[in-house]
Amino acid sequence: MTTSTEPYVLNIGPQHPSTHGVFRLRVVMDGEKIKDLDMIVGYLHRSMEKLAEERTFTQNIPFTDRADYLAAMTGNLGLAIAVERLAEVEVPERAEFLRVIFSELQRIASHAMANGTLISDAGAWQTPLLYMFREREKILDLFEMTCGARLTTNYMRIGGVAFDPPTEFWPALRELVDELPSRIDEYHELLVENEVFMARTRNVGVISPEDAINGSLTGPALRGSGIPWDLRKAEPYSVYDQMNFEVPIGANGDVYDRFMVRMSELYQSAKIIKQAMDLIPEGPHKTDIPLALRPPVGEIYSRIESPRGEIGFYLVSDGGPAPYRFHIRAPSLINLSLLNELGRDSALSDAVVTLGSLDIVVGEIDR
Amino acid sequence: MESPGIVLGFYLLAGLTLGSGGLVFLARNLLHSLAFLVISFLSMAGLFLTLSADFIAMAQILIYAGSISVLMVFAVMLTPLASRDNSNSIYVFPALISAGGIASFVAFIAWDTDWSGPGTDFDSTIGTIGQLLLGKYVLAFEIASVLLLFALVGAIMLVHQRDEDSEGTS
Amino acid sequence: MNLDSPTPMSRQIAEHSTLIERFLGLPKIALLIFVLLIAALGLGNGIIGYLVVAGELDGTWYDIRDLGNVNAALRDAILSSQLNTYIAGALAYLIPAILGATGIVSVVGGWLLIGPWAERRLIAKFQIRQGPNRTGPFGLFQSLADALKLMQKEIVIPTGADRFLYFAPPVAVFIPAILGWAAIPWAPKMSFADMDVGVLFVIAISSLGVLAVFVAGWSSNNHYSLLGAMRTIAMMVSYEIPISLSLLAVVLMTGSTQLSEIVTWQSTHNVWLIVLIPFAALAFLFASTAEINRTPNDIGEAESEIVAGFYTEYSGMKAGLFMAVELGNAILVGALMATFFLGGYTMFGLETWIPGYIILATKIGLVYFLFVWIRGTLPRFRLDQLMGFAWKFLIPVSIILMFIVAIESAIFIRWDVPAAVSLGLFGLINVTGAVIISVVWIRILFKDLDLAAPERPRLVTAVGGLKAAKEIRG
Repeated sequence: MTTSTEPYVLNIGPQHPSTHGVFRLRVVMDGEKIKDLDMIVGYLHRSMEKLAEERTFTQNIPFTDRADYLAAMTGNLGLAIAVERLAEVEVPERAEFLRVIFSELQRIASHAMANGTLISDAGAWQTPLLYMFREREKILDLFEMTCGARLTTNYMRIGGVAFDPPTEFWPALRELVDELPSRIDEYHELLVENEVFMARTRNVGVISPEDAINGSLTGPALRGSGIPWDLRKAEPYSVYDQMNFEVPIGANGDVYDRFMVRMSELYQSAKIIKQAMDLIPEGPHKTDIPLALRPPVGEIYSRIESPRGEIGFYLVSDGGPAPYRFHIRAPSLINLSLLNELGRDSALSDAVVTLGSLDIVVGEIDR
Repeated sequence: MESPGIVLGFYLLAGLTLGSGGLVFLARNLLHSLAFLVISFLSMAGLFLTLSADFIAMAQILIYAGSISVLMVFAVMLTPLASRDNSNSIYVFPALISAGGIASFVAFIAWDTDWSGPGTDFDSTIGTIGQLLLGKYVLAFEIASVLLLFALVGAIMLVHQRDEDSEGTS
Repeated sequence: MNLDSPTPMSRQIAEHSTLIERFLGLPKIALLIFVLLIAALGLGNGIIGYLVVAGELDGTWYDIRDLGNVNAALRDAILSSQLNTYIAGALAYLIPAILGATGIVSVVGGWLLIGPWAERRLIAKFQIRQGPNRTGPFGLFQSLADALKLMQKEIVIPTGADRFLYFAPPVAVFIPAILGWAAIPWAPKMSFADMDVGVLFVIAISSLGVLAVFVAGWSSNNHYSLLGAMRTIAMMVSYEIPISLSLLAVVLMTGSTQLSEIVTWQSTHNVWLIVLIPFAALAFLFASTAEINRTPNDIGEAESEIVAGFYTEYSGMKAGLFMAVELGNAILVGALMATFFLGGYTMFGLETWIPGYIILATKIGLVYFLFVWIRGTLPRFRLDQLMGFAWKFLIPVSIILMFIVAIESAIFIRWDVPAAVSLGLFGLINVTGAVIISVVWIRILFKDLDLAAPERPRLVTAVGGLKAAKEIRG
């Protein structure tokens, strides 16, 4: 009698604890090994890009909240900067600093979420996730204090930001930033030298620098592979050129490196926020622009560094109040596209951890 | 076998053993027969217990119900032909002949044996068995264990070889 | 989020947080009853203490340090009564059996009501949150509410499920979880079945759960279930060997396969086996977490990978039973761990004053706390890592150490050395031996294993592409 194993199809998702939303992996498995892997996206498609063509530029900002719902601030900022570059709108100095502060806060919140869920995917029973949520909660409280919303902030405006933060915002922010490094050290103690976590993540899901560039990865996934690329340094937008910070890069490009890059970016973000708080001038937080802004005829591709990588906005204006074409370059979608290569011939557990380390947000993938 | 509880237990367990044993070959589904087989193994362990053979009973549970059945599960899972349905067996006649042979053999033994007990109550069998295995029958015991070890090593070698081959060809 | 922030929820929590405030909030009559209860308890303790000192308590039916005495008294009363011999014999057999079984089931059942709450509260404390605190005092009725909810749920039978085999596993997995308690000695006479083959019984019983798990995974006709079942079986089969080997070390050391004898040995020599054979104890603990599917070895129901493993397709109370059996197994392992390695119901003479079952329950609680702690801290391993750990590390090292223990036990039995000296030496030898052999073994077999902490991400200020990356790396 011959013994053999047969490949079978496993549907991971659209409803599954580790797909971070509604997205589906169609996995052909042989025993515990993945033979083939298809990513099926579109369960959260809301036709954002088409809807955006019917709305004015300012009205489109809420869409960017809902695209990358874990990093609404950077999404807002990306669109605002794109429109400002297209329409040549001046932004007051104070608004630029506020933008930097809020997008770095958002980066901390998003990275905390990403690393927390990664560890949850690795099997820790949510303890690290909830520890990471301490900071995230505080940051979301700050968001709420400033603009009334915690998740879908809709804070950045074309030509500035929506509101000046209230007076009690600044001491709270100072406290948060001061205690953040010690908190991150706590995570380091809990996780970074944890043998189980290292055994699960080191040399797993390795992306070589060449592959990373060929797959046009961006963000921590790219930096984890050792490519020193960060749009905040490479094409400084807003006032990032006045900030003094470093770009962490990993050595091997495995899951652990991507995790560690996010970890050290938390420190860097705290550093940036501190500098911005010291440098922020008094003044208006917004320039007045017409409600229905009509940028000149033309097109623009503008990109900034979101927590997940390069979020780009391609806008075409026909001179009307609404964009003729509105396209989001979603870092999640492009980072995810490498999962096929990474997951093949690996164990299911590794694929899940790799997926977690790519840090996808399905709202952004499907838009 | 004086106490009524033990008598009652014996008949219950014997009925369970025979009943589930019968269902093993009556069940159409391979996994169902396996489940019945496990029940039969367990009730046989109970029968051993009524004979105060506690070591054998535990060995029965440990080896048959715990390990052999798991082995069978793996065999069932790894053989593509033996799917859920075992009705299309082509070995009816050989099976009948060998079953008849075994049955007649057991019947002969049962008929021929002098069924009077040893007359003494065993307090504990495990100590006696241990002393016998490592005293009087130590050679047989060691030979058996060496044999098992060789079987283990041989199985690993076989599987290992095939793995390397397939890696070389693919 | 700051817990002191004046949200309505946190204010409510703060109002009711301390124990004293809870009690002070009670009506006067309840306080009075409470005080009276305490007084009665103290009085009872005083009387018992007097009886213990006077030596009048030993073996009498009201000697509550050992509930086995009640049983023995009951049996004597039945046998010496005017009943027919057969009926008296049957009753003398049946009534203690039913009493004991009731005791075991109520211990497990009571734990299933308290355990989930305790575990969730503890994990909540680890995770800086509150945990269940709404249902009843301190949220104590949470498990009851959960069970009621689960019972009301619709029973969904997946299409293509094997209806005959689908319903058996939730019940069948409970059999080993309950049966295993039979061998545990709670006090000198308080054991349901103090068998000579106790250790074998434990191993045999623990091997039974595998089949129920497999049947559950196979019959639900779901790939997740099947994957979970296969993982669980592979793990259980592998980790039974380290468990057996570590128990063999226990048997060799104590010279008995009877659980009560093992406890007595530890108490007469005033030493816990975890001190004498630490590697066996740790191997037992680790392998048990694999057997009972707990973190860091819970790959059989790894939530992030295969949803709920073998019980993915079970709904309502059937899923509840699977979750309950996980808890039941956890305390069973705690009891075994306590009996084999932590001195069982004895505590260096304390068992004269405190009932042995309370000591054992405390030890079970401690082991369970360890499990919860691990669960609240560690991620899980991968299947191949776990298998490799069992086959390449635990089993060979256990075998080598078992030889050492065998030699020691031969010396211990044959040579006339004071027990304290020889056992102290053995402990020392075993600890150093375990450390040395483990280290050497790891050096030999896991040469590629990089145990050093990996390098932190490098911080750079200049950015660039592939060329820059190569320059940085040098």
